[in-house]
Amino acid sequence: MTDSPLRRSIGWYRMPILIIALLTSLVFYLPFLVVVTTSWTQTSFIIFPPEGFSLQSYTGVLTDQEWRDAFKVSLRVASVGTVIAVLLGTLGALALTRLRSRAARSWIRTLFIVPMAIPPVAYAVGLYSVSVQAELLQDNLALLMLGEALLAVPYVFVMVSSGLSQADPALRPVASTLGASWPLIVWRVDLPMIVGHMLAGAVFAFAVIFDEVVLSVFLTPIGVKTLPLQMLTASQEELSPQLTAASTLVSMLAVLLLGGYSLFSNRRTARARRLSRKAATA
Amino acid sequence: MAVNEAVATPAATRRPRRLADGSVAEKRWLLWPPLIFFLLTVAGPVVALIHQATSGEENAFVEALSSEVFVASVWRTLLLAAVVTAATVLVGTAYALAIAVGPVWVKALLMGGLLISLWTSVMVRTIGWMLLELPSGALFWMLEKLGLRSEPIELYQTTLGMYPAMIAVMLPFAVLPILAAVISFDREQLNAATVFGAGPLLTFGAVVLPTIRQAMISGGVLVFVMSLGFYVTPLLLGGPSNMTMSGIINAQLNTANRADVGAAMSLLLVGGTVAIYLVADRLFKVSERWG
Repeated sequence: MTDSPLRRSIGWYRMPILIIALLTSLVFYLPFLVVVTTSWTQTSFIIFPPEGFSLQSYTGVLTDQEWRDAFKVSLRVASVGTVIAVLLGTLGALALTRLRSRAARSWIRTLFIVPMAIPPVAYAVGLYSVSVQAELLQDNLALLMLGEALLAVPYVFVMVSSGLSQADPALRPVASTLGASWPLIVWRVDLPMIVGHMLAGAVFAFAVIFDEVVLSVFLTPIGVKTLPLQMLTASQEELSPQLTAASTLVSMLAVLLLGGYSLFSNRRTARARRLSRKAATA
Repeated sequence: MAVNEAVATPAATRRPRRLADGSVAEKRWLLWPPLIFFLLTVAGPVVALIHQATSGEENAFVEALSSEVFVASVWRTLLLAAVVTAATVLVGTAYALAIAVGPVWVKALLMGGLLISLWTSVMVRTIGWMLLELPSGALFWMLEKLGLRSEPIELYQTTLGMYPAMIAVMLPFAVLPILAAVISFDREQLNAATVFGAGPLLTFGAVVLPTIRQAMISGGVLVFVMSLGFYVTPLLLGGPSNMTMSGIINAQLNTANRADVGAAMSLLLVGGTVAIYLVADRLFKVSERWG
C-alpha cells in the first residue's frame, strides 16, 4: 500500500526521514551480522573478520552436553510458563469484557499490564527471598516458571484483548437470550473467536520467557542453567565462537518459528477478510 | 470497497449497554484465578522482601538511602532512562514515518531490522554489540577499512559505548505503537490539509503530531519504565563504572553479602517503578492503548 497522502504532506522532509531511518536500521542489523559471521571462524577464539569458514563451533555446540542441557531447561521453563500465562491472560481478557463499571475495567486493564513494568532484578530478588523461606520451592524450577509466567501475562492479555475488541458484542447477549449458560458461551462463542489471538499470545509469551535471563540468574538451582544464562556466563568468560554459534542457532530457530507463524497468520487473516467480503457482497 | 468493509465489520463499534454485565458466578470464575495468581506471585515476594529488609540490626532502608553508591546509581539510572526514552521516541517517530512513506525496498529493510530485533533475544543482541565495540572488534575493523582510524577504539565498557546498545534494545517498543498510529490515521485529514495549502511543517504540527502523540507517549512511558530495570546490557557494555540500580542490587547480594540492604533497594526500585507507571497510566491512559 503506497501512502501518497502522507508522502505528499511530508514533502521534502521525506528524504531526511528516510536517511535517518536507514541509518538507524544499522543498529538492528550490524550486531546480528557480527554474531552470525564470527560463528564460522576456524579459530578457537572470536575474531572479526572471521578466518576461513568452518562449522566446527556449530558441531561443538550441538554435541556439548552443557549447551544441550541449557536448551532443554529453557524449553521446559518456557513451555510451562507459556501455558500458565496463556490461561491467566485469556481469563483476564474475558473477564474484562464482562465488567460494566468503567473504573473496574480500567483497574483490571492496568493490573494485567503492570507486570511489564516490574524491574526483573528486583523481582528476582523477591522470588529468591521466597525460596529461602520455603524449602519446597528450593532446588527446582517451580518458582522460576511462575515468575516468568507473571512477566509474560501482559503480552497474552494485550493480544487476546485486541481480538475480543474486534468481536461483535451482540453475540454474547444473543447466546444468553437463547438460554446458553456462561461456560457454554465462553466455550462456543468467545473461544472460537479468539483462538488465533491466543496462539499469537502464546508464541509471544514463549519467546519472551525463552529469552529472559535475569530471573534465571537468581532462581536456577546450582548446576542448572537456562540457555540465556549459559550465554551470559559464556560472554563473561573468554569469548569462544561456540557462544556466537549458539546465538546464531537460537536466533535462526526464532526467525523460522516466528516468521513462519506470522506468514501463516497473515494468510489466514487475508483469507478471512476475503471470505467476509464475499459474504457481504453476496 | 469502503462500503464493503463497513458491511464486513458490522456492529463492532456499537456496544449494547444491556446484558453487557456478566453474572456474578461468571465474573468470579473468570477473574479470580488470575487475581489469586497475581496475589501469590506479587505479594509473596514483596512480603519476603520486607521480611528480609527488616531482618538486620540496623534499618536497611536508611542504610540504602544513605549509601552514596546507591544514590548515585539512582540518578544514573534515571538519567539513562530519560536519555534512552527521548532518543527512542524521536528516532522511533522518524522510523515509523519512514516505513509509511518510503519506497518498497526501504519499507522491507526497515521492517526486517525491526523484526530481527524483536525476534532475537536481548542476550544475543548484547553479545553482538560487545563484539562490535571490543577494542579491535568489528567497528574498529570497519573504521580501519574506511581509513578513518588506525589505533584501537575505546568504546567497550564506557558510557558512550553503552547508550547505542540500550537505544537499539528499546527502540522497537517505541516504534511499534507509533507505527500502528501512523498506519491507522485518517488520510482525508491530510488531503484536507494539503488542499488548504498547508506546508509540510504545518501539516506535521497540526495533523500528524496530534494523531500520533498518544502513541509516542505510550511508547515513551513503556521504554522509560523498562529502562529503569535494565540489567544485562549495562552490565556487559557499561562496565563497573556505569552500574544501574539493578547492578548495585546484585552487588549487594553477591559481593557485599548484605541481603537486607539488597532487599530494601529492591523494594525501593519496584515501588518507584510501579508508582511511576501508575501515575503515567492515570495521566496518559497508557494501559488503554495496550489492552
